[in-house]
Amino acid sequence: MADRSSNKSSPPAAGTFRLGRRAGRILWLACLLVPPILFFVVFLVVPIASALIYSLFEWQGIARAGFAGLANFRQLLFEQPWQDWTTNAFWHNVIVFITLMIVQNGVALVLAYVLGGEPRGTRFYQVVFFLPVTLALVLVGFQWKLFLNPLFGVVNKLLDAVGLEALSQPWLGQTSTALMTLILVNAWRWLGFPTIVFLAGIRTIPREYFEAARLDGANEWHVARHITWPLIAPAVTIIVILTFIGSFNWFDLPFVMAGLDGPPGKATDVLGLYFYRTAFGEVSAGLQDFGLGSALAVLMFLFILAVSIVWTRVLRGREVELS
Amino acid sequence: MKGTLRTLLIALLVAVIGGLALAQTKLTFWSWRVEDADEYNQIIADYQAAHPGVEIEFVTFQASDYATALSAGLSAGEAGDILQVRAYGAFETVAEPGFLLPLDDKVPELQDFPELAVNGERLRSDGRVYAVPFASQTLLIYYNTDTFDQLGLTPPETWDEFLATAQTIKDAGIIPIANGTATAWMDEVFTGMFAPNFYGPEFFDEVVAGETDFTDERFVGALAKLLELRPYMAPDFAGVDYATAQNLFANGLAAMFVGGSWEIANFRDLNPDLNFDIMPGPAAAAGQPRLVSSFLDGGYAVNAASKHQQEAVEFVRFLATKQFGQQFVDLLSNVSPIPGVEFNDPLLAKINDFNQNATPYVFLVGFRYQSPTGSTLIQERLPGMFAGDIDPAQVGREVTDGIATYYQPFQD
Amino acid sequence: MRPHRPGIRWTSSSLIQLLLITNTVLVLYPILMMGLSAFKSTPELFRNPFGLPENWNLANFIKVWERTNFPLYFRNSLIVTSGAVLLILVLGVMAAYALARYRFRGNELLYLFFLSGLMIPLRLAVIPLFIQLKAMGLINNHLGLICIYGAQGLPSAVFILTGFLRTLPSDLEDAARIDSASELQILLRIMLPLTRPALVIVAIYNLVPVWNDFFFPLVFLQKESLKTLPLGLTVFMGQYSTDWAVLFAGLSLAALPVVVVYIFMSRQFIAGLTAGALK
Repeated sequence: MADRSSNKSSPPAAGTFRLGRRAGRILWLACLLVPPILFFVVFLVVPIASALIYSLFEWQGIARAGFAGLANFRQLLFEQPWQDWTTNAFWHNVIVFITLMIVQNGVALVLAYVLGGEPRGTRFYQVVFFLPVTLALVLVGFQWKLFLNPLFGVVNKLLDAVGLEALSQPWLGQTSTALMTLILVNAWRWLGFPTIVFLAGIRTIPREYFEAARLDGANEWHVARHITWPLIAPAVTIIVILTFIGSFNWFDLPFVMAGLDGPPGKATDVLGLYFYRTAFGEVSAGLQDFGLGSALAVLMFLFILAVSIVWTRVLRGREVELS
Repeated sequence: MKGTLRTLLIALLVAVIGGLALAQTKLTFWSWRVEDADEYNQIIADYQAAHPGVEIEFVTFQASDYATALSAGLSAGEAGDILQVRAYGAFETVAEPGFLLPLDDKVPELQDFPELAVNGERLRSDGRVYAVPFASQTLLIYYNTDTFDQLGLTPPETWDEFLATAQTIKDAGIIPIANGTATAWMDEVFTGMFAPNFYGPEFFDEVVAGETDFTDERFVGALAKLLELRPYMAPDFAGVDYATAQNLFANGLAAMFVGGSWEIANFRDLNPDLNFDIMPGPAAAAGQPRLVSSFLDGGYAVNAASKHQQEAVEFVRFLATKQFGQQFVDLLSNVSPIPGVEFNDPLLAKINDFNQNATPYVFLVGFRYQSPTGSTLIQERLPGMFAGDIDPAQVGREVTDGIATYYQPFQD
Repeated sequence: MRPHRPGIRWTSSSLIQLLLITNTVLVLYPILMMGLSAFKSTPELFRNPFGLPENWNLANFIKVWERTNFPLYFRNSLIVTSGAVLLILVLGVMAAYALARYRFRGNELLYLFFLSGLMIPLRLAVIPLFIQLKAMGLINNHLGLICIYGAQGLPSAVFILTGFLRTLPSDLEDAARIDSASELQILLRIMLPLTRPALVIVAIYNLVPVWNDFFFPLVFLQKESLKTLPLGLTVFMGQYSTDWAVLFAGLSLAALPVVVVYIFMSRQFIAGLTAGALK
């Protein structure tokens, strides 16, 4: 494994700086890093930080009142009905994450593996599988809502047509099926993305590895498990972390397909929805409390950050540089 | 001499043009009524013709995100001059921090408005009115007159008659009631339409005063009655949402639709060939008056930070006049609370009659001032109640407990 | 041209085709239905969801054209989206390259700093953002939106690009340095071309949400002439009734450019992928 930092013993960039190696390097890094950091701080970090500070105040709707310390956090975690809402939403997000990992990413992995073998029509399949990702989420959400309509929807009509009327049900209206249905629509929509990322990872593995293994008489499973899987670790890291963060920040799809209050009866409520209706109110039901909403965002952030750090450590340890 | 004259003329020209430019005040009027843009622009065009020097731009935001745009705009001091606002709790969210101009002294027309309407835009803490009410809404039943005629039905008056009517419709292969339970706020509307006839006209005042709460027999009994409607709702009603229900009724696949007075415009748009009429919810027993739930939809307010307060107030005063009210009613098919307005549309005239027996839409009017709002609490539980997962008594208990966490009158 | 095969010799070649075809059907059938529904009227959508439109009329599209200033909104969306994606790619590459190829103190911390931007619902910051942009004079200005989307897309761009850049072997760099190439030249001539697939992934990953976003335009663009396409289409989403068929027609039209761009870029992307494998 080559040392990634190759600058300690390399000769200075010729003809550019006469400032000497070290200063030149610092200048170069500064040129690379300062603009992005500046931008990021001004347009993201500062506004978010201000919003997070709002969580420490008591709010009357949209006007800030007195300092409240951790009162908002206590309310979310220990007072009813917020405590129920918080735990309910949280567990739903956990279900979302686990299911997406298995259904969305698992299938994507299989598809990517298969496509890595360049079967007939690979290029066609690549383009097609990624198509749903390019569609507007609003379009996907509304259309699937129509497909899943118990009376008019294509899904139930198809089930009836093949004689499976028993399965024909109000998918989005039952507490037992609503969340799963949303997750599956999400998987439909996003499947192409991990597929392509895994595929890109597979394609960077030099073919010599596979040829060597096959010469050694290794079977398919062995190749997949001991060569492909470890060597696509960077792609896996990207997908796992993005899926994790995406699962816990999930908002757009449930908002379009279910509604801000996670119907039916909060069966599809997730932290993203809960946050939005707390911070901005819900037109036909609840009021907004910006301090409480910000506090929820803080809690979400801290949780996601902590777990992401753990994930990163675990997953990065697996990454191997090819040389 | 010529030079001086020329200079004077130019100066005069500049002054006149400058004066004209200054005289042209531009106001922005924010609203969530995307559907009504054309009609409002028409009304504004007439107003501008009568008030030269004022230009008003009608700016709409998608209804579900209006609150966000309003919050952000008001917080930064960059919102419209005239703002459409909601009523009751949602109104207080915006009015309490002082973003709106009190209007009771500037708009004398408000004195003639009905109390119930004005109270929706009154801040409880200082008792002043901050918006001119624009429409009241009433909950009622829409029915397909063609279907009723074909089946030889007359509009039912009591609960038992209503069930019998629904059965006849069902036997004919048509869905009796279009509504489902998939859209939470429509569940509250559904309940609010039928329930008053079972809990009676005094319930609202008693529950707001804390003399009783939602575990009251009358209320729980009303909820239990709703369950009798299940066989007559759309099949798989758990998955039937607001848009589907609207379309079922508009396409003639369902004979009745439970909704608010705002649906009149919707159904006319969805299917101009649809022949429909309205009726209030059925009475509990023969001889009793038929109560309807009613509430104030919202009002027009003036931004306290507006740079053109005078012109904005003048426009809002116009919005309180009978002249505007008539245009509003005629163009937008809504019930305006402005006194003296004539309801030329037979449906609107009927609603005006029903309103003689109106009782406030209980959760919106009385219990949406603090979180968790009564609306949130009841909306969460209704799908489960219709699915049979929880019983009405439990719903009443949980709603009461939720409200009791902040509502003093319930805390004894 | 077949760089490698996972060695599938047994008949799973037909099994594989079955799997791929099944997935293709699952993907294309709904999309086909989506396309067809743009030609139906709203009542027809509910009455006849399955079949072909009764009359293939363009009424919906005409309504979209008439009710919204489609060309204007399209142009605005184009400006905002291309500006944002460009910004994200440029800044993203700069940061990712520094983080992936150089060791320095605070590298991991900086990486986490960028990553943390992904973990917060950005809508939370809408009020402070509004106040801040107003102070900077960027309300009612496309530049303001471009900056917000730029900052919003940076974390994922840095994340993905760093991941890919990290895996590139350093021999090419070392060789170039020995040949006295400047750091800048190494970045532009050697490393950047190798990251093409990752750049395309980042571009598409950000292109879609920025093109389709209506939330930030709703709050920050109050002037009609500046509206973007998705925001313009919300005119069909009334408070109580939505003109579904027309909305779908509009959304489909809005989705078309992205799909077209994607199909073009996918050729680039595939070329980049295979190039990477063959090196």
